[in-house]
Order: sequence, then structure tokens, then C-alpha cells
Amino acid sequence: MLHTRVVDIKDKKLSIIDAEKFISSSDFGASIFFSGTVRNQNNDKSVTGITYDSHDALVIKSFKEIYNEADQKLKIKDKAVFIEHAKGFLNLGEISIIIAVACKHRDEAYVLSRYIIEEIKKRSPIWKKEHYQNNETDWLKGNPIQYEKN
Amino acid sequence: MKVTIELFGASRDFSNQDSIEIDIENNSTIKDVRDKMLGYLHSNFKGNENFIKIVNSSVFCSKDNIISDNYKITNHEKIAIIPPIGGG
Repeated sequence: MLHTRVVDIKDKKLSIIDAEKFISSSDFGASIFFSGTVRNQNNDKSVTGITYDSHDALVIKSFKEIYNEADQKLKIKDKAVFIEHAKGFLNLGEISIIIAVACKHRDEAYVLSRYIIEEIKKRSPIWKKEHYQNNETDWLKGNPIQYEKN
Repeated sequence: MKVTIELFGASRDFSNQDSIEIDIENNSTIKDVRDKMLGYLHSNFKGNENFIKIVNSSVFCSKDNIISDNYKITNHEKIAIIPPIGGG
């Protein structure tokens, strides 16, 4: 069971309550809620906010692929997964991503939650532009998507 | 023929618009598009080295598929440049 969405921050804010409603089930004995938030420092610079950019179609495709891989690689068949990522400008402390997972047992839930966020970092086309106190901005460098060019 | 390149992430600094349109020869590939974009950066940004790095380290996609450098572009096709990523 999977829910994915790229949320335009102009429409709504990400909500842990939404995640809890989605994964809540008596089939599962362990739930993990991970949220990423905007922090006030990066690389010795004072950050005032982050603009998130997203290629929505590729992002949703990557979320689904990561979920399906969990079946094959992690052998976690019974699970509920909620993944939402924000796009647009977020102030300090606001939530940029929620990954909520529910599994039968805690070992699976911890492994699955960590697997999803690490794979998103590597594969999902999302970009951050930091805003600083001196009104400057900077796109963070990021990592190239690994893909055979020829 | 023409191809529209949607801009994402750091490549948004290449234009005030969400995309750029470039002229390419018939049967051009993504490799040709990459070369044309480098030419565009030389013309419009005096060969800004950071921008050149972005193009050289990016992949391209059509709809929701990453495409190879040998992918042949069709007339008026819309593709997107996918610079190095880092969400979360």
C-alpha cells in the first residue's frame, strides 16, 4: 500500500497527521515517521529558507520504483508507505519531506524507512536553492543521476 | 527543427523562462542538444564555467523516462534537463 505526492507548498503544507491516517492499520505493529525540515545553517552560512524544485513525473516514478524494490531487495512484503515531498519556498522549520512506514515488526520498519530516504537522495529529481541572510541564494550542488549516457 | 528544453534546479538560471527553445538539425541526438546548449551558454553567459559543468553533469528526460545521449529527437519534442540532484 503506497501513497506518493509532490505537494506544491502554495496548495498545502505537509502533515504528519495525513501520514498517520494513511498507514494506520491493525495489520502492522511498528510505525516509523521520518520528516525532513529546513535548518538554519549549512556550510557555515545562515540559511533563511529553501526553495525546492521538482520534476514531478520523474519523482513520483522514482518513489514507486523504490517502493517496489523493497519487495525484492528487502523482502518486506506487508507494508504501508506514505511519501510526500514539498516543492516551492519553505521557511525554517517547515517540513520538506515525510516518509511514514508501517510494517509487522520494528526491524523491517527501521530498515525500510532508512532505505527509502537514502534512495530518494540518490535517485529522485529534487533540487534545493538555499536563501541566506544576506539575500543571496545558491542552488546546492547535488549528485548526478547515475545513468549510462550511450 | 526545434526542441524545447524544460529547465530544472540549477539550470533554471540559464533563462528567465521555465524553458529554452533551440534549433537543431534533423535526426539530432541528445549529444547534439548538449553541444547546442553549451553554445547557448557561450553566447549568452560568456561560457560561465559553472553553467557548463551543470550541462556536462546533467541527464535529459522525455516525459518520465531518462534518455541516453544517442536518443533521437523529434521535431517540437519537449525534453527536460536534469541537473545533479539533492532533495530530502
